Amino acid sequence: MLRTTSTLVVAGAACALASWLFASSQFFALQASLVGVAVILAVSLNLINGITGQFSIGHGGFMGVGAYVGVVTSSLLTQFQLLPGAPQVVSDQLVLLIALATGGLAAGTMGFLVGLPSLRLKGDYLAIVTLGFGEIIRVAIQNTKEIASDELKLVQAQGIGAELAYRVTHLGRATGLSQIPQLTSFGMVWFWVFVVVMVTRRILGSPHGRALLAIREDEVAAEAMGVDTTGYKVRAFAVASFFAGVAGALFAHFQAIITPAQFDFVKSTEIVVFIVAGGLGSTSGAVVSAMALTLLPEVMRSLFGGFNVEQIRKPLFGLLLVVIMLTRPQGLFGTHELWDLGKRKKRPA
Amino acid sequence: MSDAQLEVKQATMRFGGLKALSEFSLTVKRGDLLGLIGPNGAGKTTAFNVLTGVYAPTTGDVLVSGTRVNGRRPHEINRLGLARTFQNIRLFKELTALDNVKVAVLANTRPLFSRELMGRLRRGTGAQRAGAKVLGALDNYRDWWRAILGTGGFHQEEADVTARAGQLLEVMGLSARADELAKNLPYGDQRRLEIARALGTNPQVLLLDEPAAGMNTREKADLMVLIRALRDKFSLGILLIEHDMKLVMGICERITVLDHGETIAVGTPAEVRANPKVIEAYLGEAAHA
Amino acid sequence: MAGLLQHLINGLAEGTIYALVALGYTMVYGVLKLINFAHGDVMMVGAYVGYAAAFVLGDGALGSLWGAVLVFLVSILFCGLLGWLVERFAYRPLREKPRLTALITAIGISFTLSYGFQLKVQPEIAGKKVTLLPGADPRTFPEIITPAEWVTLHVPAPAPAPDEVDPAAPHDAADDFVEIIIWNWQVISFVIALALMGGLQVLVFRTKFGRAMRAVSHDHRVAALLGIPVDRVIALTFMLGSALAACAGILYAIKDTLIQPMLGVQLGLKAFVAAVIGGIGNVQGAVLGAVALALCEELVVGYASSSWRDAVAFGFLIVVLLLRPQGLLGRVQAEKV
Repeated sequence: MLRTTSTLVVAGAACALASWLFASSQFFALQASLVGVAVILAVSLNLINGITGQFSIGHGGFMGVGAYVGVVTSSLLTQFQLLPGAPQVVSDQLVLLIALATGGLAAGTMGFLVGLPSLRLKGDYLAIVTLGFGEIIRVAIQNTKEIASDELKLVQAQGIGAELAYRVTHLGRATGLSQIPQLTSFGMVWFWVFVVVMVTRRILGSPHGRALLAIREDEVAAEAMGVDTTGYKVRAFAVASFFAGVAGALFAHFQAIITPAQFDFVKSTEIVVFIVAGGLGSTSGAVVSAMALTLLPEVMRSLFGGFNVEQIRKPLFGLLLVVIMLTRPQGLFGTHELWDLGKRKKRPA
Repeated sequence: MSDAQLEVKQATMRFGGLKALSEFSLTVKRGDLLGLIGPNGAGKTTAFNVLTGVYAPTTGDVLVSGTRVNGRRPHEINRLGLARTFQNIRLFKELTALDNVKVAVLANTRPLFSRELMGRLRRGTGAQRAGAKVLGALDNYRDWWRAILGTGGFHQEEADVTARAGQLLEVMGLSARADELAKNLPYGDQRRLEIARALGTNPQVLLLDEPAAGMNTREKADLMVLIRALRDKFSLGILLIEHDMKLVMGICERITVLDHGETIAVGTPAEVRANPKVIEAYLGEAAHA
Repeated sequence: MAGLLQHLINGLAEGTIYALVALGYTMVYGVLKLINFAHGDVMMVGAYVGYAAAFVLGDGALGSLWGAVLVFLVSILFCGLLGWLVERFAYRPLREKPRLTALITAIGISFTLSYGFQLKVQPEIAGKKVTLLPGADPRTFPEIITPAEWVTLHVPAPAPAPDEVDPAAPHDAADDFVEIIIWNWQVISFVIALALMGGLQVLVFRTKFGRAMRAVSHDHRVAALLGIPVDRVIALTFMLGSALAACAGILYAIKDTLIQPMLGVQLGLKAFVAAVIGGIGNVQGAVLGAVALALCEELVVGYASSSWRDAVAFGFLIVVLLLRPQGLLGRVQAEKV
């Protein structure tokens, strides 16, 4: 416990320091944040798709839940002086942390509710249900209203409860939710990168991680050995959804505007591409490929200037999936981890 | 509660129009070593699947440690003290031998609510079982937290699990192979690892589905000695499916013979051997083969 | 009452199109146990090929029977070929690999097609601009069937409440009736879809090929041992499904008049949901699920709000999975242990 706390404090301090050091470079901060969000999404989806052997293609939907819930939370909280006398940066980061927590918890709860019925079923049903969940979220947000500033002022006068109710029903439809408090520092993003990697590693090194791997290897046998397979799958799914929600909330707070289309099927598939390219089941693979594939469009843009990178990226991702599956289905890393390179035991088989 | 650890009362299993198992009855007590034999397709594995909860019997009852388990999920039935191996080896291939056993030992590391209380609730009425589920879920989430934060004797428990799994590997003669991936083990070792894994769940009754399949005569003989030793060491009840009649006759105290899902004979090896129905079932198979 | 009737008619017309696509999903799932995510995109390609064919044929052919038949034929042949290519080069090499591998490949192909079609590639070949990829903008599908009202029913309108009637206003006879319109393309589309489904039913349950297909669906290894040419059966199944999808694509384009590259993803997902609702792998189930889903959507649009339309399919799906995971007509399959 003490070790964990101190590790987190050190990691947090390092991230804060980096944030402060690179504060002047907008471009760097933006790219670092984008990459970090991609890594959190990839590592958390890998917990379901790689480690537990299930197949979700709705991670974008959970990210969306986190994003919208997070923005509603932070929009409510920024009006208040949470820490009287503290510098703006500190209170901003506190508000952001609370927004991340609510966004993550909302997404995690959704994950639990979606997972409970669909994870009982075997096979590819989870893929369909998660996909459908993403669609329902999109349609639901599209059916909300846009915020009108005069209405908002009236509601704000009636107290925080009324404002909450107003904001929840006014998520900006398809056009998007704007005027988001710009709270995300890339240090905070990378702090959460650290957290998600640590949590995944700790889970993997525990009985729970072994149970998840056992489910991936042989669900029938795992069940026969007393592993409550449904329960484990639902828990893994809830944890992964929590982090998707956190990633969504982080993402939202450095965007000028968020729209439901940013969290649709395309986003979910992108995350699948990350972990498939990195090697399903490998956390380091997920980290490396999420970084590389997020930076790829940037690199291509600088190499072939004027070329519409954004447009060609999506079909390219599709082709990449097909090519990987046909030529190297285990991805870059297989199920290996960078940190295991040194200590792999070699015994004659 | 009777002293029967496993009791099957007239269990019937239908798939559509096909009766895969018909009015199957059996009792396994502590220290029993029973055999279940029959020609191919006689319904032996179906019987195992009905007992362990893979299928719910169409009619009839299955009782584990006195609790009726019809329709319960396999992991619940396993927790009540019934473990099995698989005919077509279902190890966790990409995990090491040690981890394979540790997955099974997992079920025994639950300290938040007393095991006795949970056991009583699980055996109880619908409401009590629902309560057990909620408590169990709470415990599970708490347990994930402990794993993530590394708190509260977590490391000690992990060490205990490793030690227990190591002991079981030793009993099965697999200590030297602990760190090898299950898929890389030789065939005979894989079969023994299946047994070690089943023992990891700390069962009262062990169901072995053709544990000697694919082994040579020598290995088979060794395995039979080992099985008998296991029964004594862990005071288990063991029910064994074996295709090889001779082998079963040599080790089992009582034998049930299935053919086309029907129980055609029950008795000591000598009785079964002399039973004309059994001879016909096996000869019939030989004639068709 | 009249409104309901109109919704039922629209729903039925839409449902038959869903059904044609759903059949492709269910047949491929039947033989390969694979959710062929790319299937909806094959349908989208079918619509675009039909568009190109109508374009090449020119205005003279529009509205004539032979023109329409040609458009269908070209699209069917092209999609059949596409289905074969996808199976041969993307799925067949993965047949003995874990199922997830093929599923991911299918998603990759779907992505490649739906986003590839959003690129605009128009190179000049021999001085003429040739469109290879159409770009993201929706295009108006040519009227290969001239729309006309097939039947217009006049149903007595419900009498307005007395206090709503303005006694001063002159009585308008038109207010006494509500029009229910059945369009000619609705009828044509319904008949074509029904004929195709009937044909498929005969093919699957009455022919040697159908028997082989069902054998492969049951267990392709055993089928191979029995001398059934498994590869050919699977390839033909893909081509058949793709051909049905091509027809569905054109029928949908006639109905909606606009086509765009994401068409396949949207419609494909719903059709797949329909197949799951009916019981995946079950031919009649796919049709039943498709019609039930389309009716449901039409009713939600009619009586709740059209903006919730796209959520209906998945809401319906989740309810079905909770209550009857094997689908309406599906049978529970015991897993071999």
